[in-house]
Amino acid sequence: MEAQGASARPVVEISLTVNGRPHTLAVEPRETLLDLLRMRLGLTGAKLSCDVQVCGACTVLVDGLPVSACTYLAYEARGRQVLTIEGLADGEGLHPLQQAFIDHAAFQCGYCTPGMILAAKALLDEIPRPTTDEIKHYLRGNICRCTGYKKILEAVLAAAETMASRHG
Amino acid sequence: MAEALRVVGRPVPRLDGFEKVTGRARYTVDLVVPGMAHGAILRSPVPRARILAIDASRAERMPGVVAVLTAADLRDIDPYYGQLVRDRPLIAIDEVRYAGEPVAAVAALDPATAQEALERIEVAYDELPPVLDLDAALAGGAPRVHARRPAGAPPEAEGNICFHARVARGDPEAALAGAAHTFEHTFVFPMVYHYAMEPHAVVAAADGPAVTVWTSAQHPFLVRADLARMFGRALEQVRVVVPYVGGGFGSKSYTKLEPLAVALARKAGRPVRVALSVAEACLTTRRHAARVVLRTGVDRDGRLVARVATSWLDTGAYADNGPRVTARAARRVLGGYRCPHVRSDAYAVYTNTVPAGSFRAIGAPQTIWACEVQMDLIAQALGLDPVEFRARNLGRRGEALLDGERPLDADLEAGLRRVAAAIGWGHPASPRTGRGLAVGITDAGAEPVASAIVRLHADGSASVHESSTELGQGVRTVLAQIAAEALALPVERVGVVASDTAGTPYDRSTGASRSTTVMGLAVQAACQEVRAQLAEAAAAALGAGAASLCFEAGRIRAPDGREIAYGDAVRAFFGGPGGELIGRGYVRGGGRWAPPPLFWEVGWGGAEVAVDDETGQVRVARYASLADVGIAVNPPLAEGQDEGAAMMGLGHTLFEALRYEAGQLQNGNLVDYRVPLADDLPALETGLVEDHNGPGAHGVKGMGEGAINPVAPAVTTALARACGVVVTELPLTPERVWRALRRARAQQAVSAG
Amino acid sequence: MLRPFEIHQPESVEAASALVGRYGDDAAFYAGGTELLLVMKEGLVRYRHLVDLKTIPALGALDYDAASGLLRIGGTVTHRALERHPTVRERFPIVAEVERLVANVRVRNVGTIGGNLCFAEPHADPGTLFLTFDAEVELVGTRGARTVPIGAFFTGAYETARQPDEVLTAVRLREGGPQTRWAYMKFGIHERPTLGVAVALTLDAERRGIEDVRIAVGCVGPVPARVPAAEALLRGAPLAEADGPLERAAQVAAEGADAVDDLHGSAEYKVEMVKVFMRRAFRAAAARFQ
Repeated sequence: MEAQGASARPVVEISLTVNGRPHTLAVEPRETLLDLLRMRLGLTGAKLSCDVQVCGACTVLVDGLPVSACTYLAYEARGRQVLTIEGLADGEGLHPLQQAFIDHAAFQCGYCTPGMILAAKALLDEIPRPTTDEIKHYLRGNICRCTGYKKILEAVLAAAETMASRHG
Repeated sequence: MAEALRVVGRPVPRLDGFEKVTGRARYTVDLVVPGMAHGAILRSPVPRARILAIDASRAERMPGVVAVLTAADLRDIDPYYGQLVRDRPLIAIDEVRYAGEPVAAVAALDPATAQEALERIEVAYDELPPVLDLDAALAGGAPRVHARRPAGAPPEAEGNICFHARVARGDPEAALAGAAHTFEHTFVFPMVYHYAMEPHAVVAAADGPAVTVWTSAQHPFLVRADLARMFGRALEQVRVVVPYVGGGFGSKSYTKLEPLAVALARKAGRPVRVALSVAEACLTTRRHAARVVLRTGVDRDGRLVARVATSWLDTGAYADNGPRVTARAARRVLGGYRCPHVRSDAYAVYTNTVPAGSFRAIGAPQTIWACEVQMDLIAQALGLDPVEFRARNLGRRGEALLDGERPLDADLEAGLRRVAAAIGWGHPASPRTGRGLAVGITDAGAEPVASAIVRLHADGSASVHESSTELGQGVRTVLAQIAAEALALPVERVGVVASDTAGTPYDRSTGASRSTTVMGLAVQAACQEVRAQLAEAAAAALGAGAASLCFEAGRIRAPDGREIAYGDAVRAFFGGPGGELIGRGYVRGGGRWAPPPLFWEVGWGGAEVAVDDETGQVRVARYASLADVGIAVNPPLAEGQDEGAAMMGLGHTLFEALRYEAGQLQNGNLVDYRVPLADDLPALETGLVEDHNGPGAHGVKGMGEGAINPVAPAVTTALARACGVVVTELPLTPERVWRALRRARAQQAVSAG
Repeated sequence: MLRPFEIHQPESVEAASALVGRYGDDAAFYAGGTELLLVMKEGLVRYRHLVDLKTIPALGALDYDAASGLLRIGGTVTHRALERHPTVRERFPIVAEVERLVANVRVRNVGTIGGNLCFAEPHADPGTLFLTFDAEVELVGTRGARTVPIGAFFTGAYETARQPDEVLTAVRLREGGPQTRWAYMKFGIHERPTLGVAVALTLDAERRGIEDVRIAVGCVGPVPARVPAAEALLRGAPLAEADGPLERAAQVAAEGADAVDDLHGSAEYKVEMVKVFMRRAFRAAAARFQ
């Protein structure tokens, strides 16, 4: 950036893995993981919305755990594995959650969808066959203003079934 | 007579599915335009003041700052915009009218510098006494939010009245005087925030005669018209591109941030991105708060004889779409009921608060809530079952409720009985639970002006070019289905190219549940034109009569059994390896669309709620929603629209309200402004009535808004049945319900003692 | 938008403390950042130096000593770690239960117990619960180490007894005996709780009489607090006849609640809810003996 005082601003060098690819970058400590992903790596799937860790649109997984990338310093991802929505599919082969969201019309505007799917992935990694109440509890931190959630719950249940039968 | 449909009516996967589940879908906030600078907006800290001076010199000198925009930069353009009433400057001129109004804007090389530069702009304000709510605005001698009459202000605008609408018939005062029973109630509805998850965003380029904006707008052509007028450009010089939009719900209807972004880009001499935060989106638009007073007269047989409605809508500091919201409120408050004598007055009232505009079913949740809760109160007072009382008064299919109005196109009573059955109406409820019902109708559709172009390519695939904005409602998928049906193509062979005023044809707007109906007809007409050309081409190639051909799955068959694929027919027509057939279709006002509205959007709802007497907490255990859709072009998408609308309705029913104190918005953030979450989902059932009764392709009519309207009255009346207390102000927060319960207990104690 | 700051990665508590001692008001300890970064983004506070406590391995420890029944939760242990830790779930189930309902899963994955306590946001859960454990807070600063009872730790909204250079190294909870049961009730429709009531109920060996009860009320006022006068009314009462004392105790607790009007509701309403939820939490704790 050509911006003012860039040289005076403190910088730290970090190495992290994003969607399986290693990166080494100089970041300002104040840089959020969301800005790093969106502005430096061009991974715009994670979205900024509420900016206060309530809505979940910026959800990404760090070492498998969902975090709010809007309020999570890029510095914190040093030495860690970051998974964004762009890294979930295997090429054009969709993850069962992605397929289930399509099959169940579990999104509309799509703005919450990357975060919603990643949160659901973390849930299924932790609880492979969740109950509806467990899904509601886990996803209460991911707001969807379009769907009313019903089809999202159906999609997550369906994906859990698909994944369980594959592993079964 | 049902047609045999192959694609319409099927659960076709969304066209945008792959992009949206993989993070590839691009929204305005994701765009990077070469050379783009980053904008930030300085907002007024006070609700009303004269601007004495702005000193931006320190900000301008800051390294990295490209431009600072103030009112001083607007002298060569028309800086005012607004629907009907052009009262809003793109940035404050001489005066600020609400806390949060843009006063200056910075373009810088990076977002952080732009933010930091805001702090170096000094503004001297001379604070003026604000008017902060309806009472203050309507009081005698109240300061005027707009001292000078804005362009386009209607003649009746006086004081802080921005707009007045009236619907009248008969002699309601006389009828009220002669009615066996009369009732008067007042209902209060809060300001609510859309929370479209993508806040408003614009990238604007205006460094020459051409103006280009990429924006999260619902109505690109109306934005184009405003920009052309304001900046003195021809329509062809202004290009508005709308990528995917992260939710609209009305918050991105008409012109919002675009003129400011264009003015800033013009001054910067390079493209500028302005992306609001959620906190700023809260300072941009909201739903009208309302106070509705209903006086209703009923005869001895429980029939409505007179209704006098007065609705005051707080439109905030600028009109935005307030006039149209007000006009709709005036009609919508009357509901689907037959009543010989009515007068409904609705007023849009200026206050020094965030401007209010369109929000899903404009003017309806406020007024239908009032209408329907009062219907229940009347039924209760007369000792009638609320379903039977409503049934006695609902208009019949084919009946015009007001002069010059389209007759009802739905069976309102049948739907009401269906939701009643769905929630177990008439069966005993558990203790401290209750059931409630409501029906709302809205005069839907907006202006029916839309065009579409369909191109049939040399491989037999087709592109639909149109400008209905994909807000998530699935319009592209639905239009592709309508096109595939009309072209006799598999839906996978149809693509949709959308929302670029330089390349896709005119559509008036995306809202008022109009796109499937209005644009659907335009697309269907364009397909028919293509099909006629294709028939000619195939007839020539096959040596058969055009009228004798059979179209199926991308192939054309002659009576003798010979076939030709669409692509081969196209190439045969052009005599070369390529070429394409182009069809156009349009829909225009008048004719089939008279009398208004285009169609009636109808939503029914039934709720079962439980109340915690000690805390006042209301829990909606079950909700049944029913919509009259004509035909569900894509059933899961139609259900999804209603599920989303019902949950959004639960938001303003139970939690949502923007709170002001001393002219400052107190909860313009998602920590303090509560929207429905996954664990608020009740047992939710949606039903679709498919009577093929709509004016659109295959009998479709608009939907997606109607389901929000019955929620608040159904829940409020269910609550009343659960605990005997009627709450006439929303939202039904635990404290509000607890206070109502306590008041009722105190009154009981008094009457018992 | 976050303003520029430098981040420091001390390897010891002493080093961390010295850094904050050196930079004074320009520095803050930084753990999960779920509260701190929000107020920094808002521009409500500005620090040029953040001292990361997560680079100090000892602060991330979660130790349980079976002999003493003592759980020592390191300052940078996350909410989620507490929620899911097998020992916590087995020996301190109420802690896991309360932690499961803190904010949302993302905040719990990142937010730390030390940060939560030190930030002293009034609308929070753990502090209220820990009061009923008579928890002890370990603080280490440039002038040495000390232990503060949690009852003396919260001094105001966003204010604690911690000196600016002191690190909250751990909070210690002692396991309840076989005759103690906990309940925690939270209430509200907002993102943060409007009210929280924690009850630790200890019965005598026959489980007939109330040997001890500890009750804490949080969120309604500036600080979570025990209600000793209410506890005294219940202590010694037979459980079967607790309704009367409970009613009086709830009244006393409500009268003592330092409730304030805010976006969550009026003080009047909150005071009434203290009564309701104290009764409910007490009964929920009693029900856990069955």
